Amino acid sequence: MVASQGRKDWSGIALAAGILFLALSFLGIWLGFARGDARPAYGVLIMFSFYLSIGLGMLLLIMLHHLFGAGWSVIPRRQLEHGITIFPWLGLVFVPFLLISYLTAGEDQGFIWKWFNETAVADDVLYQKKKWWLGETFFLIRYFIYFGGWILIASKLRRCSLQQDVDGDPKWSRAGAKWSAFGIIFTALTLSGASIDWIKALEFHWFSTMYGVWFFSAAMRAALAVTVLSCLCQVYKNGPLSGLFKTGHLYDLGCIQLAFTVFWAYISFSQYFLIYNANIPEETFWYVMREQGAWWGVSMGLIFGHFLFSFLFLLFYSNKVKAGPMIFISVWVLFWHLADLYFNILPSKRLDYDLYIAYPFSITLWDVTAFLGIGAICAWSYLRSWKGSQLIPIRDPRITESLQHHGR
Amino acid sequence: MARTDIFGLAADFADPGVLMAAAQQCREKGFEKWDVITPYPVHGLDEAMGLKRSRVPFFTFVGGAIGFATGTFIAWYMNAFDYPIIVGGKPFFDPIFPFPVMYELTILLAALSTILGMFLLNGLPMHYHPVMKAKGFASTTDDTLRITIEASDPLFEREGTRAFLKEIGGANVQELED
Repeated sequence: MVASQGRKDWSGIALAAGILFLALSFLGIWLGFARGDARPAYGVLIMFSFYLSIGLGMLLLIMLHHLFGAGWSVIPRRQLEHGITIFPWLGLVFVPFLLISYLTAGEDQGFIWKWFNETAVADDVLYQKKKWWLGETFFLIRYFIYFGGWILIASKLRRCSLQQDVDGDPKWSRAGAKWSAFGIIFTALTLSGASIDWIKALEFHWFSTMYGVWFFSAAMRAALAVTVLSCLCQVYKNGPLSGLFKTGHLYDLGCIQLAFTVFWAYISFSQYFLIYNANIPEETFWYVMREQGAWWGVSMGLIFGHFLFSFLFLLFYSNKVKAGPMIFISVWVLFWHLADLYFNILPSKRLDYDLYIAYPFSITLWDVTAFLGIGAICAWSYLRSWKGSQLIPIRDPRITESLQHHGR
Repeated sequence: MARTDIFGLAADFADPGVLMAAAQQCREKGFEKWDVITPYPVHGLDEAMGLKRSRVPFFTFVGGAIGFATGTFIAWYMNAFDYPIIVGGKPFFDPIFPFPVMYELTILLAALSTILGMFLLNGLPMHYHPVMKAKGFASTTDDTLRITIEASDPLFEREGTRAFLKEIGGANVQELED
């Protein structure tokens, strides 16, 4: 029996909506490009990073499951295996950025990443020092390595799990662990590289040794929130997972969510703390820009909303074992994760480059279309996998352990 | 009627299934001072016994809050109040630079008070307990599943409770010396 039996198929609608909104977003980038405004492109970059972080977090969670030989998480793992199908489509979403950066000439090449315009940064000492990494060819090679690697690992891990549904051979579990042993190192490095290349390099003058870890911690929080939501959606109203996804699973996902809430705060604070203590202008400007105008409010929201409230909320056992509070906190975390990405990306499109004036906080129509477009494509990809496979890994050697999972 | 000359009664059970049902019946009967001794964790037994969640997290939270307050206080007292001194051009007091101190003390006192809370709630250290003198106590760490009902329970009756323990599937019912 596959999961989709007798249920309404939304994937066609998701695909149509995805193509429509994504086309609108690309139109936005093009319109912006035509009049020299990169704001629509920044919107797409923010939303791209949002869904990419969810996909990467899910990939890492699956690999952690395999490496620890975890038993309890076999049931929620299948949801993650649907989620990691999104990488090829995210790779396509990135193409307009590459087209603008490589195919245009002169000033326009630095439309998104300023250093692509080599004449503008030729005299820049920091650019000269960082050129070996930021060089245009290497940047493109890295794009292919990142996405190629993620797509490969995701498809191998999916094959291990889905093939086991058919033949029940325990060798697939071992193969999954082997791919994870390689994949977790590869993903740790490429995830750091991707966040540095695509987000941090918007401010190529800046230094931070914590950036990759920040993106990792943020990605894990987002992925756990989506996992909780997708599992609970299928428990709601006697959904297919009701009776399979139990309180114990929800509680344990809540506990990991709590751990990564603290970890995210630890990393984000450490980055701030080191820069604050050293007090060197090459580093502090990044935070100074993020205290201007509405960004001050956003940064306070990240401290007290994204961290403190989530932390206190998830501290209570009674909140982690009920669907309502867990749905609320998952949506809350995703909301602030998006704010965190705005905070990291948007101010770098400076209003005045030489005076270090940050681009003010704003939400445009193009942000909304990108959020809906990439989101709908990801939903379509998820649903396509969901309807073609078993609801849970029925022949996983540890499925009984997961079915009988007793969390308290 | 409560009896004080013995500690209580103990009975052994054949397998976890019988034990689980017996524990449920003890709870339904309304006993309050009773316990189950098993050599390994039996999943679901805490629910069958009607055990509530431990109150240790309360101790953890209070300890953590005290630690955070202590860290904040000593950083302010030392650097800004008792002996104000400029370090690295930073303000005398600010929540950012002493944060590692605040954070470490939060963790330290939370951990210590967790252990303290666990000791207090379990009545530790406890060097002697009447069940340790019972026949076959050693095998309760190996293959014996045992229920004990204490004489101080309001519902305890020497003969009635003995009969009840047999009725719910218990064998080798024995009296525990105080």
